[in-house]
Amino acid sequence: MDEQERRKNIRRTALIAAAVALAFYIGFIMMGVMRS
Amino acid sequence: MTTAVADAHAAEDHDDHGPTKGYKRWLFSTNHKDIGTMYLIFSLVMFFVGGAMAMVIRSELAVPGLQFVHPEFFNSMTTMHALIMVFGAVMPAFVGLANWMIPLMIGAPDMALPRMNNWSFWILPVAFGILLSTLLMPGGAPAGGWTMYPPLILQTGDAFPFLIFSVHLMGISSIMGSINVIVTIINMRAPDMTLLKMPMFVWTWLITAYLLIAVMPVLAGAVTMLLTDQFFGTSFFLAAGGGDPVMFQHIFWFFGHPEVYIMILPAFGVVSEIIPTFSRKKLFGHDSMVYAASCIAFLSFIVWAHHMFTVGMPLTGQLFFMFATMLIAVPTGVKIFNWVATMWRGAMTFETPMLFSLAFVFLFTIGGFSGLMLAIQPADVQYHDTYFVVAHFHYVLVPGSVFAIMAGAYYWLPKWTGHMYNEKLGKLHFWASTIFVNITFFPQHFLGLAGMPRRIPDYSVQFADFNLVSSIGAIGFGLSQLLFVAVLLTAKRGEKATDRVWEGSHGLEWTVPSPAPWHTFTTPPKARIANESFE
Repeated sequence: MDEQERRKNIRRTALIAAAVALAFYIGFIMMGVMRS
Repeated sequence: MTTAVADAHAAEDHDDHGPTKGYKRWLFSTNHKDIGTMYLIFSLVMFFVGGAMAMVIRSELAVPGLQFVHPEFFNSMTTMHALIMVFGAVMPAFVGLANWMIPLMIGAPDMALPRMNNWSFWILPVAFGILLSTLLMPGGAPAGGWTMYPPLILQTGDAFPFLIFSVHLMGISSIMGSINVIVTIINMRAPDMTLLKMPMFVWTWLITAYLLIAVMPVLAGAVTMLLTDQFFGTSFFLAAGGGDPVMFQHIFWFFGHPEVYIMILPAFGVVSEIIPTFSRKKLFGHDSMVYAASCIAFLSFIVWAHHMFTVGMPLTGQLFFMFATMLIAVPTGVKIFNWVATMWRGAMTFETPMLFSLAFVFLFTIGGFSGLMLAIQPADVQYHDTYFVVAHFHYVLVPGSVFAIMAGAYYWLPKWTGHMYNEKLGKLHFWASTIFVNITFFPQHFLGLAGMPRRIPDYSVQFADFNLVSSIGAIGFGLSQLLFVAVLLTAKRGEKATDRVWEGSHGLEWTVPSPAPWHTFTTPPKARIANESFE
């Protein structure tokens, strides 16, 4: 795997992980909003 | 292998761009070893700060009546002790070990996102600076328990927003750290290191990082809602406004139970590295260990309500959470039996890391068994909020997580410093810690079974004897940890460590020189890997 492709993969994995974290944060707050 | 590794290191005489001199080396560091060292030192400092608070708690509880501190301050001490030990000592210590060892174990030159790595560390001292500053604020430090249950926590004085902000910062730091771990492991492994060839420490950290990504934002969401309840007129958890305080408990423990495994899975990984080394055998059932850890991680998401059996829930809910919790004993048992099978007929020696690992296996199992007792819903109604719970989770976290961290520190110290530590001092540290940790926490089982509630500064005289024994043990355990500081201070005085350090060690981290050079694996290693020394 060349360096360019590795960097692209690193960026993609990091963004997916960050998106998952954000989804949990917003998702649980939204759940609170729906219930209250 | 030696030739291949030597080739890989031939290009590593980077004298021209070694570490910067002075404070800038640490403040702006993007080197995984420097950041790992900073994490480990930070966690040790926090271990002593949280430990000092434990000493206040145990001194107050040594005899019945109020001795040294006001009840409000006592409550602050229990709250701050827990927050500091969980988020400031145990978690950063494992992140420190991960920073140091994961790139070395997988043959990567550094973490994948080094600048984010620097940020995730430096956020921590700010977070804990803010948290500790609340001790000086009007109304005192937070005193509603580390679980921050509303409405009690909303009675915190000026410290409240600072508590929320510091928890957010800790969460951001953990999430950034875990993104880094995931990205590094997924993308930067040595070319022939497939996932199932990864060392157990790397595997357990990969699973832990996924847990962190999923649950730290949940905690952040919960405390954000607390903040808006307090300052922005919402009623997420306020019954008066139509909110539900029990919902906070559900959300908190959806974070809180996986958090327990966040603090223990890397410990499993450390012990899984050490036991094979000192048994001079390959780890028994490597793949089953991976599946067991994954199984534990999955189950950790569906057992949260066993922390709140007494709030009242439908019978089906009680049964589900009870049986799901008990199910965790199965993959955990797989791990325990695999460690025992690894030692079986091994040529065992008992250096300090092995002693700590063995104590881990025995004493963590005690914590596991008391956990099973607590999982039994009808019994939990009796045990809930008693010292039995305190004894249980301290067995899991002290001779569990903390002993594994100590084991890892002793195991890898020669690789970090280039010198063997003082083995006599290490063994003294081990024996003193093991004896005192049991004197401290074992009697607390009896106190809990006899009905002593947790989080109280005073108690009925019937509990006096066991409390005194526990307090003596705690002071002894606290003082024993000074021996570890002595080991660290004398760490560079010992004989020169070889590259492999331990006779039975295996894996890429042992192929680099001791101390590990500032840059390692700038060229991906060509060596065949993963347990090859036993194949």
